[in-house]
Amino acid sequence: MNAVNFGYMISVARGIDLDRNDLTSARELGDEMPEFRACIACGGCTATCTAGNLTSFNFRMVQTLVRRGEYAGAYREMNKCMLCGKCRLVCPRGINTRGVVMLIKRKLGDY
Amino acid sequence: MENLTFYHGFVVPFVVGTSVLFAVIFYKYVRWFTRLPRRDRQKVRRGIFSFATVRAVWECFTECLLHRRIWRVNPLLGYMHTSFALGWFLLIVVGWLETTAYLGGRFVPLQGHIFFKFFTTGLEHGPRWGIDFEAVMDLLLLYVLSGLALALFKRIRSRALGMRRTTRLTFGDRVALGSLWFIFPMRLLAESITSGLFGSGGFLTGSLGGLLAPVATQGLELAAWWGYSIALGVFFVAMPFSRYMHIFTEVPLIFLRRWGLRSEVREKSFDHFQIEACSRCGLCLDPCQMQRDAGLEQVQSVYFVRDRRYNRLTRRVADTCMMCGRCEERCPVGLELNTLRLNSRHALRNTPANDRYAYARNRDTSSGGGRTGYFAGCMTLLSPRILKAMESIFAAVGEEVWWADRSGGVCCGRPLKLSGEVDAAREMMKINAEMFSKQEITTLVTSCPICLKVFREDYVLPGIEVVHHSEYIERLLGEGRIGLTPGTERFTYHDPCELGRGCGIYKPPREIVRRVGTLVEPAETGREAMCCGSSIAGNGLDKNAVGKMGVAVGRAFEQTGAGSVVTACPLCKKAIARNTSLPVADIAEIVERHLVPAK
Repeated sequence: MNAVNFGYMISVARGIDLDRNDLTSARELGDEMPEFRACIACGGCTATCTAGNLTSFNFRMVQTLVRRGEYAGAYREMNKCMLCGKCRLVCPRGINTRGVVMLIKRKLGDY
Repeated sequence: MENLTFYHGFVVPFVVGTSVLFAVIFYKYVRWFTRLPRRDRQKVRRGIFSFATVRAVWECFTECLLHRRIWRVNPLLGYMHTSFALGWFLLIVVGWLETTAYLGGRFVPLQGHIFFKFFTTGLEHGPRWGIDFEAVMDLLLLYVLSGLALALFKRIRSRALGMRRTTRLTFGDRVALGSLWFIFPMRLLAESITSGLFGSGGFLTGSLGGLLAPVATQGLELAAWWGYSIALGVFFVAMPFSRYMHIFTEVPLIFLRRWGLRSEVREKSFDHFQIEACSRCGLCLDPCQMQRDAGLEQVQSVYFVRDRRYNRLTRRVADTCMMCGRCEERCPVGLELNTLRLNSRHALRNTPANDRYAYARNRDTSSGGGRTGYFAGCMTLLSPRILKAMESIFAAVGEEVWWADRSGGVCCGRPLKLSGEVDAAREMMKINAEMFSKQEITTLVTSCPICLKVFREDYVLPGIEVVHHSEYIERLLGEGRIGLTPGTERFTYHDPCELGRGCGIYKPPREIVRRVGTLVEPAETGREAMCCGSSIAGNGLDKNAVGKMGVAVGRAFEQTGAGSVVTACPLCKKAIARNTSLPVADIAEIVERHLVPAK
């Protein structure tokens, strides 16, 4: 990709091809915890996140990617969560966010 | 007298039942004892010849026989349990005395004691040692039967005995319960028929025997004794596999507990003694807000312990609990229900720690310095008013403060621990403990009871005293370093679970409230205070359940007629504020409003 250095770069396309992704796990997650589907991606969780204050952990991003079928690295990212529960308090949809973290780790964990 | 044989075909069910019972109990206890970790066995060795043993004997008497803790819940329920336990125990003891009084020191096999009336019809009746044993035994039998009548009545109207809900029984429990109900009426019938035939018996069996005499035959007599023996046999076989295992298991549990054994965050052999000492009385059901307010069934402590005992515990049951401790407070056996739930969560879902919080190491964002440290905790950081109030209080007394996490910090680790991720929690604790020990602080103040509990329970902080901000403020008041202007407002106070039942802090916040206004208590308060519903341990609770419980809590405070709600936990504050129209404030905010710096 970097065969010729033009001195600038074009960002990699970030589009997600939903037709190509396997959504089985995402559907199972939603079935097990219907609240998971209620997210409006407002980002309140990420704004208050204790872990996000110290590192690049982004709960909204990871769980949105998981819902779109992008599971790679989700377990490792979710492991950064300290389960402190602030996100659950600020969530305008009242989602059991800690439960979501644990569910994603359990379903997508590689241990 | 010499030709007493003490044998008849009908004793077989009883003898078989008893043998099975003792074989199973022996097997179980030996297995659990030998699997106790070495530390626990050391505690047993050290405790066995101490005063703790005497106290254990006394507790066995007051709890296993008298059931004192159940009397406190409801006298009628207490009477029912006592009549079974003490009544049956005395029937055995007095029965043994009766045998000895009649037959002297000669050996009598077990069935000879139990079916004494049947085998000794040839003996001369009348008092022995100046005691009318027949009357005493009849009185005891009547005592047990009165309890049985209450137990039957409880099946129809449990409310009369102070229980809104009773436990749903397993198959084994039903078998045991059914046979238990038959034991004493069958005994009454058998002894009465024998008395009728031979003209013996006390005021109960004798007079009933007199009534039955015209129809009594030897065939009927034998049938009744067979029935009694079968009921006993079935009950004894079912006993170690049903809830009635508690009858015996509570005894070793009391001794082990007195010798200092406790359940821990990891499952261990001692847990068996706790789990099988559960009688499934169901007293934990009524205080459970998940049952009462959210309508969640089959997840309460009694069901959790049952599922764990029969190896069918699901993650859903283990996770659906706020660990508020209201059931633990009520449990007549004193089981460590929160710890058991916790170590089940650990067993079910502990994921490897994997150095996952490496990012948080060496990220000290603390500021300031001084002998006093302040750890806000995640939830306080989310409630800036509490933080601001604490700043004002510290400023008023001129305290130099080391702010551990004012600009963001690492979680205390308790939420992880409560979720069963014990290894990961330990990592978190290490990060914080290292940060604290680098400072010169001697006191660490925190506004969050969740952090307070874990600091006191799991952190090793030599030379640092950890106090809740309510304790700190009370201390300042006591030392005269701050004053408060009295007011006329009516407050009600909410005991946070982790602060009250968790750390035993009930008084300091109330003292502070009383200084600035009038305190009115909600219906359930102190050790029985409600949980706000948003507990950090409620991993398995969805928003509907949390919402319903929150509404009930809000209503309880509105019913007190107070003008505002005071609490001492940022999480409770947020949860309550969401469910009531009353203003909700932390104790620190109230203090800030009424603050008068000392001259």
